[in-house]
Amino acid sequence: MNTLLRLTVANIRSLVRDRAALFWTFFFPVMFVFLFGWIFGGNSDTKVAIGFVDQDNGSQVSVALQKAFSQVTLLTIQTGSLDAEEAAMQHGDISAIVVVPSGTGAAVAAKSATSIQLYTDPSQSQTSQVVEQIADQIVGASNLQIAGGTAVVGIQPMTLASTNISTVAYLVPSILAMALMQLGVFAAIPLVQQREKGILKRIGATPLARWKLVGSNVLMRLMVAIVDAVVILGIGLIFFNVQIVGNLLAAAGLVLLGAGAFLAIGFALASFLKTEEQATGVVQVVQMPMMFLSGIFFSFDFLPGFLQTVARFMPLTYLADALRQVMVNGTQVAPLGVDVAILTGWLVVCLGIAARSFRWE
Amino acid sequence: MTQSGEPVIGVANLCKCYGDVKAVDGVSFQVARGEVFGMLGPNGAGKTTTIEILEGLREPDSGSVTVFGMDVTRHAPSIKQRIGVQLQTVSLYPRLTVTELLDLFGSFYAHHLPTKQLVDAVDLGERAKARSMNLSGGQQQRLSIALALVNDPELIFLDEPTTGLDPQARRSLWDLVKGLQAQGKSILMTTHYMEEAAELCDRVAIMDHGHILEMGTVPELIGRRFKERAVFFDTSLKLPSAQLGKLEGVTRAAQEDGQTVLYSRDVAGTIGALLALTDSLGVEPKNLGIRQATLEDVFLDLTGRALRD
Ligand SMILES: Nc1ncnc2c1ncn2[C@@H]1O[C@H](COP(=O)(O)OP(=O)(O)OP(=O)(O)O)[C@@H](O)[C@H]1O
Ligand SMILES: [Mg+2]
Repeated sequence: MNTLLRLTVANIRSLVRDRAALFWTFFFPVMFVFLFGWIFGGNSDTKVAIGFVDQDNGSQVSVALQKAFSQVTLLTIQTGSLDAEEAAMQHGDISAIVVVPSGTGAAVAAKSATSIQLYTDPSQSQTSQVVEQIADQIVGASNLQIAGGTAVVGIQPMTLASTNISTVAYLVPSILAMALMQLGVFAAIPLVQQREKGILKRIGATPLARWKLVGSNVLMRLMVAIVDAVVILGIGLIFFNVQIVGNLLAAAGLVLLGAGAFLAIGFALASFLKTEEQATGVVQVVQMPMMFLSGIFFSFDFLPGFLQTVARFMPLTYLADALRQVMVNGTQVAPLGVDVAILTGWLVVCLGIAARSFRWE
Repeated sequence: MTQSGEPVIGVANLCKCYGDVKAVDGVSFQVARGEVFGMLGPNGAGKTTTIEILEGLREPDSGSVTVFGMDVTRHAPSIKQRIGVQLQTVSLYPRLTVTELLDLFGSFYAHHLPTKQLVDAVDLGERAKARSMNLSGGQQQRLSIALALVNDPELIFLDEPTTGLDPQARRSLWDLVKGLQAQGKSILMTTHYMEEAAELCDRVAIMDHGHILEMGTVPELIGRRFKERAVFFDTSLKLPSAQLGKLEGVTRAAQEDGQTVLYSRDVAGTIGALLALTDSLGVEPKNLGIRQATLEDVFLDLTGRALRD
């Protein structure tokens, strides 16, 4: 164990002291988050559309509330049934829904506590916060009018995932997926380097078990994957207000699975590449198309049909899809289970190839 | 533990081919405990191949190879605990420092020496915090020797340990090797330097084309080939070679590197006759000298090639 740890530390040192490797593993993805965050994330001053659902049959209270909401200049209001408005929100036409349940008017008249419902999408935190604040003010003002300040009407917050997530929210998990892909695929380069220099051979002359050598590499890369994830998601949260709404444990699991699958691809590549120059070239040939075709920077749907087919063969498509689904409720390319199965498949197959074909000298 | 009489290395009929190339072709030798054994041979003779098979890095095609009495192909892990390896080509993590590398390699073994002691042994104290990529070639070579000693091995393989070292560093490596031998360690080394083999090795094997041509102590090898001593002088003096061959005691006359060399059984008689001859011609031989045949002569004679191509 001591040996494994020391080797891992040696690997981390080698990485941290290698400027080119550092650039690709940390600064490149970070740069993209900032770049695209600024391009797409600018605070637009366009209005926020919300839906208003009156289930209280035009009671005095609901009419008053609707009037209050429609007077807010920042909002545009549409009305309809809850089903219709939910559909509209899921489709991305509106960002929130205010529901006045039946019986609200009667409850207010009796001065007994009641509440309206507010549906927002937590992954679109900026918009949601704006709507929540407005709703708070309006409800507060109504309480003042109706009951002299006693909180008769409350707000019951509801969440509803809108599929049409903001561009930045789309980009953050996608760029994380790209970073994990590069982290794994680029692992081929130091491996080939170490073989070419005879480092692997020299270590082969010591009693060190080979699995520890491989294990330390995997361990180091997985640690970097977690750092990458924290850095990228942190920047998304702090600078661009992209909230992670899904299960953090599931997200962490996906990060590790994704890193593992691409690491296996990196190892498999290293099995066939002989020189460092070859490795650098081939790794670029592998990672570049994935970077541009797997729906990282723009949605998969924008690709022409032929390229969509190509993209469906790329493992990055599924990692990015899975991360978006878990982290920001993104649109599905495939169901989450399929994403996970495909990534696991790549992991197993490439690991098998590497185990069979990897040469130590 | 090996009994004192049992050899630490036993190689019998070892063969290893790479395609059509017979890199090692029926090699047999033994190295006794505490012995420094040298392998000499021109480039491509098969020295590195032999050593790396002994280190468990390459598979032999046929023949038996034992280290500490154990079959190398079957007991590699326990053998590796007890051997030290310096490969011909220097190979280290470029971005780790001298100290970090020694610590790291030490952790691969059940027992290892303190890093400070190793750094001092190869005189790298001043560069202990330098990354290996920033070391000079000779310093890298010394680091690679320190790494070979990290587990305090009983048997050490040194493949061209002094190639690339300056004369001073070479001398200090010789002292290091002698010190290791004094501690009772066994060493198998290769070299292209005759004076090094003569200085350090108890026995040497001369290899070419995958075969061992001769094996024994240095004086044995010289004595076996050369009963004569050599009388030499500058060739600029033109003397009829037919007459030189007939001078007293001379068995053979040759031209080597701008010198005329007379191999003689009777040095005094040969010189007397030579001076009488030059006197009669009214000339004087320049840089006249006498020497014993050297390992270099043996090597030339055996392989027809100079040791350093
Ligand atoms: N991995 C290999 N693949 C193919 N041929 C090889 C390989 N290793 C060695 N050879 C060949 O085997 C022969 C012996 O090589 P080896 O390295 O053992 O020589 P050497 O005596 O160590 O030479 P040098 O003094 O140059 O180090 C050479 O002809 C070499 O080309
Ligand atoms: Mg060699």
